[in-house]
Amino acid sequence: MGSVEPDDLDRLIHERIRLGIVSALAADDSLSFGDLKTILKTSDGNLSVHARKLEGAGYIAVRKGYEDRKPKTEYRLTPKGRKALETYLISMESLLSEARDALEKK
Amino acid sequence: MTTPSPNSQHDAKETLDYIRRTMESASTYTAVSGWGLVFSGVVGILATWLAWLRAVPADLRIWIPAAMISVAAASVANALKARKIEVPVWSGVLRRVFWVVIPVLVAGALLTFALEANGATQLLPGTWLALYGAGVAAGGTFSVRAIRWMGVVFLVLGAVALAQPEFGLVMLGVGFGGLHIGAGLDITWRHGG
Repeated sequence: MGSVEPDDLDRLIHERIRLGIVSALAADDSLSFGDLKTILKTSDGNLSVHARKLEGAGYIAVRKGYEDRKPKTEYRLTPKGRKALETYLISMESLLSEARDALEKK
Repeated sequence: MTTPSPNSQHDAKETLDYIRRTMESASTYTAVSGWGLVFSGVVGILATWLAWLRAVPADLRIWIPAAMISVAAASVANALKARKIEVPVWSGVLRRVFWVVIPVLVAGALLTFALEANGATQLLPGTWLALYGAGVAAGGTFSVRAIRWMGVVFLVLGAVALAQPEFGLVMLGVGFGGLHIGAGLDITWRHGG
């Protein structure tokens, strides 16, 4: 396997909040805006901006509706988003594995 | 091969740790209130005492209200804890816990009425303990370890009560009373309330 360069990483999910959104949705089928805000401990504005970027890339799907007459936004990870997270995790693991190999050679 | 710099190694480790923590907090139900369990335990002991006074171990007029009070109090305590530790009160993981636990409790209710109707009330304590234990152990896979183990011990108490029905009331007191209090105190100590 070739070495992993920072440029090889998917920049879209490398950003901390976006990575958190994708990771949380990988662990749970669907999460509301409020759930994600609590899990990631971030502000409404920050979460909206990053969620919109992920939605634009087709990594997450958004469903808007109402619950008890209050607007509710639900997010789900798309197959494309799941694949992107898997690829990202493989890159990170490769980085650590290369570091271990280099350590063993010394 | 380029050797990753110490910084990128550290970043990779930290990033993987962040992913793990985020996935855990999205998939683990941590808002189990220890004090809610302690309260349920006190209700369990009171119910055991009342059943002993009436000399009817599985008296439904005692145990059904006791169960309802315990569930209501635990739900309120869990919601308060969720608010305190800033996790969602009703989330995807809680929905999963709900779907794992509720069918077992419904099965317990059906068996209760079937055994009662057929005069096999001596089997009720063991049935309640075993089914409650099965539900809690299964639902506990989404929660903290103390809950899973509490479910397993309830199953053991249920097995004892089914094998030796004359110890049914003692097992009810040990389980719904003592075990709830013990697990509740453990959770308040290890998981902050």
